[in-house]
Amino acid sequence: MEFTEFRVTTRVVAGWDLAASLDVELSQAGLERGLVVTDPGVRPLAERLLSASHRLIGLHDAITPNSEVGQVERLAERARDAGAGFLLAVGGGSVIDTAKAAAIVLTEGGRLLDHQGVNVLARPLFPVAAVPTTAGTGSEVTCYAVIRDGDAAAKVIFTSEWLPPVLAILDPALTLGLPPALTASTGMDALTHAVEAYLSNRAGPFSDALALAALETIYRHLPPAVRDGSDREARWHLLISSCQAGMAISWAMLGCAHALAHACGGLRQVPHGVANAILLPHCLAYNRPAVEARWWTLADVMGADPVKGVAALARRIGLPERLREVGVAESDLGPLAEAAILDGSIFTNPREATVEELAQILRAAY
Amino acid sequence: MAIFARAEDVYAAIGALFEWGSQDGELGPKIGESGLTIRFVYHRPDAEITVDAKAVPPEGRHFTVHCGPSDLKADVTMEMDSDIAHTFWFGKMNLMTALARGQMKAVGPIQSILKLLPAIKPAYRKYPEIARSLGLPGGEA
Ligand SMILES: [Fe+2]
Repeated sequence: MEFTEFRVTTRVVAGWDLAASLDVELSQAGLERGLVVTDPGVRPLAERLLSASHRLIGLHDAITPNSEVGQVERLAERARDAGAGFLLAVGGGSVIDTAKAAAIVLTEGGRLLDHQGVNVLARPLFPVAAVPTTAGTGSEVTCYAVIRDGDAAAKVIFTSEWLPPVLAILDPALTLGLPPALTASTGMDALTHAVEAYLSNRAGPFSDALALAALETIYRHLPPAVRDGSDREARWHLLISSCQAGMAISWAMLGCAHALAHACGGLRQVPHGVANAILLPHCLAYNRPAVEARWWTLADVMGADPVKGVAALARRIGLPERLREVGVAESDLGPLAEAAILDGSIFTNPREATVEELAQILRAAY
Repeated sequence: MAIFARAEDVYAAIGALFEWGSQDGELGPKIGESGLTIRFVYHRPDAEITVDAKAVPPEGRHFTVHCGPSDLKADVTMEMDSDIAHTFWFGKMNLMTALARGQMKAVGPIQSILKLLPAIKPAYRKYPEIARSLGLPGGEA
């Protein structure tokens, strides 16, 4: 190994019903005058947090899945007008990413797309605290924010050491009511993070430990959580392990399943976790020749052939198996491969993929 | 010790590489067709090169190379130490790793640069020749 690195800059606290005593954590972090950022589905829960806290001043719920540049800029404007001191993102990956991206605009000014690039941000950002309500993206600790550019029908990825939230509050009680379909898709996103981080050509000893621990836990606890949303043990483990997987990808980054999933989300707004679940078995089969030793570790952790194990898991938790079932047309496959070859995630895929090979993976998954 | 002492040394090596690329039958057209203006900002020593594939190029070239400060508006700006650029053009450095390690900074839609990566491969063969002719060391990562 030539070089490795690891850092988690987010303070992570986890516990049942932590969100009810939010102010304890907020005051320890010195956070005041927070604007709650959420989506309409999570709004009732966010309202409860707002009314129980003296450190929150308002609520903004205009965030949708696959959130777009305009939503980020409107949120930044709202926070500025309200004189907010921090953003409290309460929701899934889209909500947290939107808040993180808005912090860029709040700190640096201008339009969001002015700040595209890598290592563009040079100083700490407007603070964001995150309360995930899904066990999925791990965005509460990652150095990424993925936002859709509607004009280009593409995903724009922001990467910076300053992007991780300052505080992540993991309260599994908030995930108890998550419907089975959302539990399944967000859980498969987290599982894909664990697998791709472990197989990444940037994988290192620190990210490996987190990725494998997360994989083992998600693989075991996702089916019971989908079957019975009130399974407290499963919910606890899923929330912790999705956060561990987020820590792993912050260093190791991802692979071709994410490159393709970002393309599907950009062009056809396929939900991120669903796209990953459909694509991961095919990407694993494609990557196998390049990852021989690690393949057997995956098989060992899962107790199954990785391709078959992932596909069987997705089937068992009721996710679609084909891109054609989720709004992708056959004529999209070429453009999707073209988009994926330029996605940042492709560069850490263990096997150097060509556009033709990506198109083959898409055809196999179609 | 730094590879280059002055901006002129950067232009004699990396500027010369870009000049060669603008006339190369393989690499030139691919960069030319991108229609991009790409600025390279170097430090230690400070230097600046702008590759302009937007304006009509001079006779016999596929794009224009400006060594030194330029007022052209860039689509993408790449910023790095001159030593890093030297190592990169020896083909000894992965762009994504350099970005991840903070050795390079990219401002603008990075995808448009990544798209050009396969096209610039011939430059990794050419640059060691240029470096050798100038008596520069071999770009250790
Ligand atoms: Fe993901």
